Amino acid sequence: MVDFCPDDTPQLKAWRGEVRAFLEAELPGGMTFDYDYDEDEAGWDAYLAFWRKVGAKKWIGLTWPEEFGGLGRSAIERWILQEEFAEYAAPSHPIIGMAVAAGLLRHGTHAQRLRHLPGIASGAVQWGEGYSEPGSGSDLASLTTRAHLDGDHWVLNGQKTLGTAAHRAQWMSVLARTDPEAPGHSAISCFLVPLDAPGIQMLPLHNMADGQQNQTFFDNVRLPADSLLGDVNKAWNQIWFGLGGEALDPPGPSPDPYRYRIVRMLRKVMSYCRETRHRGRPLMEDPVVRLQLAELLEGVEAIRTQYYESYSNAVTGITVGPRPIALNLHQAYYKEFWPRFAQTCMEIVGPMAQIQGGRWACLNGELEHYFRGSVSNHAGGTSQLKRMVLATRGLGLPR
Amino acid sequence: MSIDLNFNEQQQLIQNTAREFFQKHCPIDVVRRAEKADEEYPADLWRGMADLGWLGITFPEAYGGLGCSFLDLYALYGELGRSLAPVPHLECVALAGTLVAELGSETQKAEWLPRIAAGEAILTPALMEPDGLYGPDGVTLSARRDGDNFLLNGVKLLVAYAKSADRLVCAARIGTGDGAAGVSLFLVDPKAPGVSLEKTTNMASAPLYAVIFKDVAVPTSDALGEVGGAWPVLDATVMKAAVLQSAMVVGAGEVVLDMTADYARTRVQFGQPIGRHQAVQYLVTDIAIEQNLTRNLALRAAWRIESGRSFLREAALAKACASKAAAAMTFAAHEVHAGIGFMLDYDLQLYTLRAKHWESNLGDRRHCLERAMAEGGDDPLPHFQHA
Ligand SMILES: Cc1cc2nc3c(=O)[nH]c(=O)nc-3n(C[C@H](O)[C@H](O)[C@H](O)COP(=O)(O)OP(=O)(O)OC[C@H]3O[C@@H](n4cnc5c(N)ncnc54)[C@H](O)[C@@H]3O)c2cc1C
Repeated sequence: MVDFCPDDTPQLKAWRGEVRAFLEAELPGGMTFDYDYDEDEAGWDAYLAFWRKVGAKKWIGLTWPEEFGGLGRSAIERWILQEEFAEYAAPSHPIIGMAVAAGLLRHGTHAQRLRHLPGIASGAVQWGEGYSEPGSGSDLASLTTRAHLDGDHWVLNGQKTLGTAAHRAQWMSVLARTDPEAPGHSAISCFLVPLDAPGIQMLPLHNMADGQQNQTFFDNVRLPADSLLGDVNKAWNQIWFGLGGEALDPPGPSPDPYRYRIVRMLRKVMSYCRETRHRGRPLMEDPVVRLQLAELLEGVEAIRTQYYESYSNAVTGITVGPRPIALNLHQAYYKEFWPRFAQTCMEIVGPMAQIQGGRWACLNGELEHYFRGSVSNHAGGTSQLKRMVLATRGLGLPR
Repeated sequence: MSIDLNFNEQQQLIQNTAREFFQKHCPIDVVRRAEKADEEYPADLWRGMADLGWLGITFPEAYGGLGCSFLDLYALYGELGRSLAPVPHLECVALAGTLVAELGSETQKAEWLPRIAAGEAILTPALMEPDGLYGPDGVTLSARRDGDNFLLNGVKLLVAYAKSADRLVCAARIGTGDGAAGVSLFLVDPKAPGVSLEKTTNMASAPLYAVIFKDVAVPTSDALGEVGGAWPVLDATVMKAAVLQSAMVVGAGEVVLDMTADYARTRVQFGQPIGRHQAVQYLVTDIAIEQNLTRNLALRAAWRIESGRSFLREAALAKACASKAAAAMTFAAHEVHAGIGFMLDYDLQLYTLRAKHWESNLGDRRHCLERAMAEGGDDPLPHFQHA
């Protein structure tokens, strides 16, 4: 039965109220989290402090079993929580930790789950993701970082790049080749690597949006045997499931505060257009601006319905067409819409949108920063690749 | 008369000399260093340009200039775009200096043009206001007669190099109304009592300022041109500069295209250069197409200026296209470069962030499109005419 209403019971409504009350009380006043704070010490501290409070309520692992630091709650409760976090501009989840948690819940041993999940759930431990390499981005299966067994230890060698928040993390999930003979994706394994292990070095890559990714170098890093996540040589299927994101495994499909910035930014631009008068009338009444805004609205609303679609697909197991379609379609659309959205917002606000701060800046310079951030739309894979997968695996076009 | 879209010998000479000069004296690390430097532009680079005569390139020889034509200047601007040279040429020579040359009294010309040409004085225009409008209605800073002075009150934004400037060429309004009548220009010392500067950085690290005027007394002798009647020349000068800004987009676009095509040829994924994929080929060719459209429209506008034809419609079209190209070319380049292009260490961002500044400088796309239609009057798409 078609239904777009997440909270149609008194219990769920009460839950939403509880989440809101928490956010009203705990979000640091005057601070919006529409920025990445990984470079700013004070911002990062506030970010961590907030997430520890969420962790103390066991809401990070809301849907996980209690023994791992969760509450065993339902997917719809998680959806509602995320929706409120997104609307309130809470800082986005320690997002990589959530992906690692999904992998652990699916492929980890009981001992690995007990060891790693509580730290993620409490907000105490941050994770980075070591997949991409200088020579292996879209073609991840060509990666050359390798690990071999030496007695009861794995020895890791190689280089990872573009690691988000890796300099803030204590752990990293690293993909490495574990069979030098086997080609492509058939010899890749996933390792859980403590970043304080001897032989690890990190160098910053400063990005256009005042944030930082990292290069990580592994030089004969010795890892105990239980650092392997899942089966040896089988990480490829494991991570594609993880990257799939449509699974009901945590974090599960739900609005993500990071992506939800697009909704909040459109609201900000719209209120700017209501408050700002050009030639004696509010920008909002300028027919050209109105049409531009309306088109952005259409795109943003479409993205919102895609969240619902993901959730529905995951919960009901019913998808329109083959499974890879929906997800790659959403990602391709979002990745292409985002920079266009930022561009159009800059055009609407006009030349003063370029001022970065101070009293002459429009929207406190947030739009200008958002525009620079939109150049990061390739994180997690380019739209061209998403389209390729959509076309070949999804729509049956020849490879 | 015939059809020939190539520079003449003199323009080629300027182009080649400038390319070599900037390669030698303004490699990309000079651009990077200038972003962080205290001085608003590298003095030695400016000096070098002065030595070549480029700071007075179009000024009359009588005032220390070279007396070159607009297309000669245009040839230089392609290279300013290619090199991203962090110098105030557009502001000081193409705009402020040209306004002095066009409108100035004998005394004003003699006082400023030789010093600009020699690299000894910086003049910079103060045109935009918080409303962000580019037309005469955007000029609301008020000038009120007070004995032998005018009193200026208001705010100018996006004033480049204001701190280094010896004079601002400030657009102000006499009387009420919002039309062309009443727009005046004044030479204002940014250190004069009542003028205050607030730095307003933009994404391109341009030295931009908000300039606040509070009862700033400007002697009547510092009015530039006819008080209340400056708009037509101001407008024409801005539109010419918009063509030069378009030439910079064309020049920078060339580099972005080369950089991106090169990357597509050499970056290997899935065992082959990414440029073999049609998805990537479309992106690279988007850059080539946008660059070409802008080049042709800008060159035509420059030719119309050079040959004394009407040019406002063509200049507006050129800048409209340049504004689109500035965004579209860098967008496509980032799509091709993916992760590495987002990083500050990689040079692409230097072009992207400047392109963003240029996109709205001297007229954004919407303004220029509307202007092109308006200049066309009842016949926005006239028959081919070479009159
Ligand atoms: C902000 C940011 C954060 C990131 N964080 C992380 C992280 O935490 N951990 C991590 O491991 N990685 C991270 N990445 C890396 C990210 O996963 C890669 O950037 C992405 O997979 C693309 O790889 P690439 O940058 O090497 O581009 P390339 O793969 O080199 O692609 C270059 C161009 O070629 C195109 N192309 C390649 N192959 C094809 C094809 N078959 N068909 C058509 N077109 C093709 C691409 O679409 C693109 O246009 C991050 C990236 C960014 C930008």
